Amino acid sequence: MSAPQAPAPVLTAHRAGLVGCRSCGRVWPESETTCRRCGGALVPPDRRCLNAVWAWLAAGFVFYIPANLFPMLKTSTFGGLRGNSESTILGGVVELMHYGNYGVAAIVFLASIVVPIGKFIAISWLALVAGRPATVRAAHKRLHLYEVVEFIGRWSMIDVFIVAILSALVQLGFVASIHPGPAAVSFALSVAFTMLSAQSFDPRLIWRGLPLRSRKDHE
Amino acid sequence: MTDRPSPERSDAPLKPAEPARKPAARAVRAGLPLIWLVPIVALIVTLGVGWNAIASRGTLISVAFKDATGITPGETALKFREITVGKVESVRFTEDLQQVEVNMRVDKDLAPYIDKDAQFWIVRPQVSAQGISRLDTVLTGSFVEGYWDNQVDGPQTRFQGLDKPPLTSFGEKGTWIVLAAERSRGMTEGAPVLFRGLPVGRMQNLRLSETDEGVLTDVFIAAPYDELLTTNTVFWDTSGFSVSLGAQGVSLNVNSLASVLQGGAEFATLTSGGAPVENGHVFSLQPDRSAAEANLFADESRALRLTMLIDESVKGLETGADVQFMGLTVGRVTRLAARIVQDADDQDRVEQEVTLALTPERLGLSGDVTPEQALDFMAGQVRGGLRARLASAGFFGTSLQVELVELPDAEPAELDREGRPHPIIPSVPGDISDFSETAQGFLTRVGNLPIEEALKSVTDMMNSVTAIASSEDTRAIPGALRGTLEDAQAAAGEIRQVTTELRESGAVGQLRRMVDEAAAAAEAVKLAAADVPAMVDQIDAAAVKIEAVDYAAIGTEAEGILRDVRALLGTEDAEQLPRNLSETLKSASGLLNDLRDGNAAGSLNNALASASTAAQDVSDAAKRLPQLSARLEALAARADAVIAAYGDRSSFNNETINLMREMRRAANAFGSLARTIERNPQAFILGR
Repeated sequence: MSAPQAPAPVLTAHRAGLVGCRSCGRVWPESETTCRRCGGALVPPDRRCLNAVWAWLAAGFVFYIPANLFPMLKTSTFGGLRGNSESTILGGVVELMHYGNYGVAAIVFLASIVVPIGKFIAISWLALVAGRPATVRAAHKRLHLYEVVEFIGRWSMIDVFIVAILSALVQLGFVASIHPGPAAVSFALSVAFTMLSAQSFDPRLIWRGLPLRSRKDHE
Repeated sequence: MTDRPSPERSDAPLKPAEPARKPAARAVRAGLPLIWLVPIVALIVTLGVGWNAIASRGTLISVAFKDATGITPGETALKFREITVGKVESVRFTEDLQQVEVNMRVDKDLAPYIDKDAQFWIVRPQVSAQGISRLDTVLTGSFVEGYWDNQVDGPQTRFQGLDKPPLTSFGEKGTWIVLAAERSRGMTEGAPVLFRGLPVGRMQNLRLSETDEGVLTDVFIAAPYDELLTTNTVFWDTSGFSVSLGAQGVSLNVNSLASVLQGGAEFATLTSGGAPVENGHVFSLQPDRSAAEANLFADESRALRLTMLIDESVKGLETGADVQFMGLTVGRVTRLAARIVQDADDQDRVEQEVTLALTPERLGLSGDVTPEQALDFMAGQVRGGLRARLASAGFFGTSLQVELVELPDAEPAELDREGRPHPIIPSVPGDISDFSETAQGFLTRVGNLPIEEALKSVTDMMNSVTAIASSEDTRAIPGALRGTLEDAQAAAGEIRQVTTELRESGAVGQLRRMVDEAAAAAEAVKLAAADVPAMVDQIDAAAVKIEAVDYAAIGTEAEGILRDVRALLGTEDAEQLPRNLSETLKSASGLLNDLRDGNAAGSLNNALASASTAAQDVSDAAKRLPQLSARLEALAARADAVIAAYGDRSSFNNETINLMREMRRAANAFGSLARTIERNPQAFILGR
């Protein structure tokens, strides 16, 4: 646990009797309820806020299921006479691979399958271990993971963007037209909820589980 | 865990200062249940959407086709009235690999209507004589089209697909009828059925008749044109073109190109009073309009079929030939066949088996009579003497037809109801052999004409006339007359002399009476002569009529007439006439001689009496002329009667027909005669 590189005790704001503003990062005494610099509400880190994390995550997961089952794209060629093609996310990936577009298939697969599922796992893990005892090093890892999730969350929307752009561009009337399927909405909602979930997570909780020894050492 | 009061703990004792201090914590606590509403709502929405998707996924039906040309699983659409209502999910073979099963998912709301009357077919581009259709499927690919009505009647999921699109999709209203023809000329799949040139229907399902020797096709006449159909409607073939050579010249009749290429039929309702037709009514397809007009056949399928057995040649009889009953066409010949029968001596004999299809309506039976009733009727007729026989037809007599004739004195026979293939109607030797006999008989009669006798009579008559003219008595007349005149001249003076004597002797009254009598005789002669022009006119008229009269009869009559003339000329009266005149003149001459001798006035009375007798003789002879006239008149009347008999209109038609037939044969005979003469002209001149 205690790696030789990071033996230094970490002083958290909470243990210092301060509360940090989640908006601008300034710390205030615990008695303060409003950040006087940015006007944001000062909330002490609390495990109960994980409820929101779980709730948003659950909602996101619920919407992720139809996002994979329903068609993402509805393509109609020659006014539907040539047939309407509907493809789900995974079906689209398989189709792209079938046509040899491995690169695009990989991007779609990453953005639509790997990243959201990774986010679910990451957020779930973060929420599970939040406030649990951890070494400073482990806490850093968690923080790093959290930042990655936060960063990559918006890129999950790449699939939705593709659908939106295609739908906007490929409106050739009779010849061909593309419409978003029900999965696009589900996927967008899923991504939005997971992003909300990630945002609901209070990263300060990561530091709550730091060994007391470090604090004692510090104090 | 911590020395700081946790939010829970600080919350439990409700101190006034605490809420103000920790409002955020309270907000979080208050939001706890609320935030969980989000996933719950999400779950509900997702489940709802999912359930909706599954519920509205539609019903899976499977249709078996012969092949699956152009069907792509997942893409090919099922269309109903050109609207996509389903999609092919998968295609697989039936267990026996004979067919392809196309599984399609049909929209939920339409599935209940897809019941046993549903029809499915694959729509592909079609190129036909009428044009190219469904060209859109070239670009978009084939699709499955289905049709079903709006009756919910026990949905089913397995269907047998049609090989080709039905003629009537989308529940078109109209009437299905059946066209029957001997050959499939003019019938093709999809060929149009026209009414006054307007396509109002199509043919479909061309097939051989199961019961008869013919071809049947279903025809759908779309509403409202199906109201034009009655049981009296006739159909005729409009395919191809026709060239006819008539009095107006050559006429070429070409229908539309589609008709020429594809065939087609036209119909018209030529007579009123027909009953509306039901689905499945059978009409006969006639080869052309004139045939259709001539042949208002009714329901061919309800025709009464009879077989007649003939053991003579049926050369010239064709299927489709008319069957006539009292001059009406009541049916047609549908089949000609030969079969071997054994006669009484166990000898194999070939008989011609002619199948007749009679239309009961044309026989005068009511329209809804059953074949059994019609057969009863025919059996009764046969008992009464109805027989079938062959008869010649057509102007040139080259073709034959079947005639149903009443022969009351025919040998008794019964309709053989057990006959195969159809009840056998007894037949009699055909009229065709009678016809040849009559032709022969005619020639015989021509050959037997008493031409030689007639010529002989004429010669005799001429001889008689010559004999009369050349007889010495007749020749003596002029000489005697001259002598008489001379005597009379000589006597005149003496008469004058005598007259003076007579005037004195009172003989004038007697003489005047004598002269009166002579005048009366002359008057009689004049009257007789006056009758002659009228007689000549009559003879003229008779001659004119004779020209148009049966030669045989005329020959006979002419013979009679000539015989009469000869008899007349041969009578003693005629021969005596000149002699009487001569004698009279001699007597007059003698009288005058006597007078000239002037023997005595006393003998004058006798002389006058003699003169009176002579004048009486002349008068008598002259009176015979009216008799002759009367006899000639009677003769003319007989000729007239003969002509009148032949001019009788009631039997004249038949006789004219016979005459024409005979003329035909005679013409042939004359033709052969002409050929004979051509070959050997001397024969004609030398009589050998």
